[in-house]
Amino acid sequence: MARKKPKLIKERVPTIERPAEERVHDFKEVNLGYTFELAVKEAERCLQCPAEYAPCIKGCPVHIDIPGFISKLVEYRDNPDKAVKEALNVIWACNSLPATTGRVCPQEDQCEKNCVMGKVGDKVNIGKLERFVADYAREKGIDDELLFEIVPSIEKKGQSVAIIGAGPAGLTAAGELAKDGYDVTIYEALHEPGGVLMYGIPEFRLPKDIVEKEIDKLRKLGVKILTDHIVGKTVTIEELLQEYDAVFIGSGAGTPRLVRAPGVNLNGIYTANEFLTRVNLMKAYLFPQYDTPVKVGKKVVVIGAGNTAMDAARSARRFGAEVTIAYRRGEEDVSARVEEVAHAKEEGVKFVYFVNPAEFIGDENGNVKAVKFEKMRPLEERDARGKRKIEGTGEYVTLEADTVIIAIGKHPNRLIINTPGLEVDRRGKIVVDENLMTSIPGVFAGGDAIRGEATVILAMGDGRRAAKAIHEYLTKKREEKANA
Amino acid sequence: MGYEILDKKELAMNEVLYKVHAPHVARKVRPGQFVIIRAFPTGERIPLTPIKWDREEGWIELVTFVRGKTTMRMANELRPGDELLNVAGPLGNPAPMKKFGRILAIGLITGMVEVFPIAKAWQEFGNDVTTLHVTPEPMTILKEDFERSVSRHIVESYQLQPGWGMNEIAQELVRRAVAKVRELLEGEHWDLVFIVGPAGGEKAVFEVVKEYGIPMEADLHPIMVDGTGMCGSCRILYDGEVKFACIDGPGFDAYKVDWDQLIHRVGFYADMERRALEEYLKSLRGSE
Ligand SMILES: Cc1cc2nc3c(=O)[nH]c(=O)nc-3n(C[C@H](O)[C@H](O)[C@H](O)COP(=O)(O)OP(=O)(O)OC[C@H]3O[C@@H](n4cnc5c(N)ncnc54)[C@H](O)[C@@H]3O)c2cc1C
Ligand SMILES: Cc1cc2nc3c(=O)[nH]c(=O)nc-3n(C[C@H](O)[C@H](O)[C@H](O)COP(=O)(O)OP(=O)(O)OC[C@H]3O[C@@H](n4cnc5c(N)ncnc54)[C@H](O)[C@@H]3O)c2cc1C
Ligand code: FES
Repeated sequence: MARKKPKLIKERVPTIERPAEERVHDFKEVNLGYTFELAVKEAERCLQCPAEYAPCIKGCPVHIDIPGFISKLVEYRDNPDKAVKEALNVIWACNSLPATTGRVCPQEDQCEKNCVMGKVGDKVNIGKLERFVADYAREKGIDDELLFEIVPSIEKKGQSVAIIGAGPAGLTAAGELAKDGYDVTIYEALHEPGGVLMYGIPEFRLPKDIVEKEIDKLRKLGVKILTDHIVGKTVTIEELLQEYDAVFIGSGAGTPRLVRAPGVNLNGIYTANEFLTRVNLMKAYLFPQYDTPVKVGKKVVVIGAGNTAMDAARSARRFGAEVTIAYRRGEEDVSARVEEVAHAKEEGVKFVYFVNPAEFIGDENGNVKAVKFEKMRPLEERDARGKRKIEGTGEYVTLEADTVIIAIGKHPNRLIINTPGLEVDRRGKIVVDENLMTSIPGVFAGGDAIRGEATVILAMGDGRRAAKAIHEYLTKKREEKANA
Repeated sequence: MGYEILDKKELAMNEVLYKVHAPHVARKVRPGQFVIIRAFPTGERIPLTPIKWDREEGWIELVTFVRGKTTMRMANELRPGDELLNVAGPLGNPAPMKKFGRILAIGLITGMVEVFPIAKAWQEFGNDVTTLHVTPEPMTILKEDFERSVSRHIVESYQLQPGWGMNEIAQELVRRAVAKVRELLEGEHWDLVFIVGPAGGEKAVFEVVKEYGIPMEADLHPIMVDGTGMCGSCRILYDGEVKFACIDGPGFDAYKVDWDQLIHRVGFYADMERRALEEYLKSLRGSE
């Protein structure tokens, strides 16, 4: 795109962030993002690499035209509403949940990792720009406007699709299929749709009204959402296949992994899923106005160092606890987003590395009072994921703790994977072909259900790919019927 | 979208029956399964057990024992025509339907209502079922239903004494249950004992049954959140392994359960539950 190149601005335009000492007392959002003026300033830093080369696009799992959307902000800088609408249109071609992914994607490992600006200065803050576009659009109702321009009248196909699970994978598939004219019904086990976005990721990182807004949008597209429906219990996949023309499984990886160590059932030991569900979905931080209790002691130990561990640790800090993250590997292998680790440190979360839980020690009432860890030692060798291998040293260290939160990962949900005829691998991940179709014809799957624990953007990308595959599958079915 | 309360009845002091329109559950539920409901926008998710249902008409009946904030608020505030916000289910595994022979099925207090669908189904399956209800105050809950559905229904009731607190009530419950069960085990042959009640009572009865070496199944009631295997709140230690009661149970072989741990876990939030209840009672007084 032809435009005057302003001179290189090496430093990122900072976003507005609430100070740590203020935010540890509440669950309100930490980062307040850009204003339009700041967003344009940051957008101007983009070098506008051509789309066929742009390394950021290659780094994005769903290949958003990043220079494309950024350029709209600069091009229409005199008309903010138009600028945002144009930019959103570009993003939506590949990503239907930008307000969410702008906040939770590991940009540093994806788009921003490759940003050419990084060679001379700070990389462009792509995540915060994406978020800005989505937030501004939502606040001004531009997203609804655009939605109904893109889909002026949906041509009904007369076929229906059942979606299992209302996480990012299921929501995305539902939206795409509804736009294609299918009758879509989502079956969700919990009382609120949203999946991890609703029950896992805390309010201070992803405000729930954003997720609710995304879900409203689906309802406007005619998607039906049945909460309280547990597929495998309330209804089986076989039954769904009798009622619908195709099924998409987006049931996530909801089963928490537990540490295999004595004492793991002591009171005060939570899985991150339980802790975060109580806090986020059930709003235990507002107890007793909200009925669901949660107990956060004075000393909290969080085991693990992924996003889930950071979310649990930072949530616990907001109850006033002293919080330590204990990780069996070293700092370089922490898998959480850089921003989350930085925020956790700012908020006073402590980190202990190379310790592996060996035993949970309880008091006479069955409450946890300490965790005994084996000290670990890094080896030179690396595992398949590039992480340094570790081994036990036979030496132990004990950390006092009246609350322990286990955040060492999750497996796919058991209720679904017990479906007869549904092929799963050793770890319970649903096996799919290149079209995301499972071993049962007409049943597709995506997101954490096929990947194990992955990311929002990959789940969303799967939702889109599956929607496309389902569309093709159902088109063929329609044609066959017409020819018969 | 909610689930209409079609009828509400007080069965006995502190025991309330709700007939709820929930066709998705009614269509599928089997004896031994439960649901998780939410009654208020700020409310918690609590597990309850459908005791009767009609698959065609699409209703289920739930009975709550009024013991804390949620069950009390439901009793006070919900009327026929109102809705439960959520009824998720059916959850958990159905009770095994087999020919066991002579079964003693015990319900402690409101646990009895949960025994009903299972005992009835066992009897229909060709078992010879005796049900025993241990409870303070003679109550009429389902008495006729039981008498109609099983071989023999025994009620062991006792008067609450003025000034008794929760502890005294629980102690008396255990004392009565243990004495009555011992009497029944001593005099007759049994192939299976089944029990539903508070963990402490279940354990005490198990200690007696163990002496006689009779197979025993217990429905466990650890604290649940989702009921779908997602959180681990309901985990128990079973034969040395961690199990999730919501998806592996709720029925378990009583011989393999780590009872003391279950009792600890069930009581974990007692202080906060008390506080929630007190604040609720205070708010009632305030609004009078
Ligand atoms: C605490 C936490 C923090 C995270 N932080 C990040 C982050 O910062 N960035 C990032 O990219 N990723 C993050 N992730 C990972 C990301 O959230 C997941 O990869 C993503 O949500 C997967 O989407 P999904 O749609 O496949 O599944 P989920 O979001 O898990 O949704 C699955 C849905 O299916 C429902 N369901 C399950 N079984 C059934 C059934 N039998 N019947 C009906 N419904 C069912 C569940 O209730 C749930 O609503 C985080 C995860 C957690 C837990
Ligand atoms: C599988 C199962 C089936 C059940 N069926 C019935 C039934 O048919 N009728 C009935 O009256 N009760 C049943 N219960 C117990 C019921 O869930 C509690 O009575 C209810 O949660 C009490 O809520 P509350 O706010 O009134 O009391 P609270 O003051 O919150 O709690 C009182 C006690 O109830 C138990 N409890 C509290 N919250 C939960 C929870 N989320 N999950 C499980 N137990 C909890 C605890 O033992 C607690 O000490 C069942 C429990 C389980 C696990
Ligand atoms: S209640 Fe959450 S796993 Fe059983």
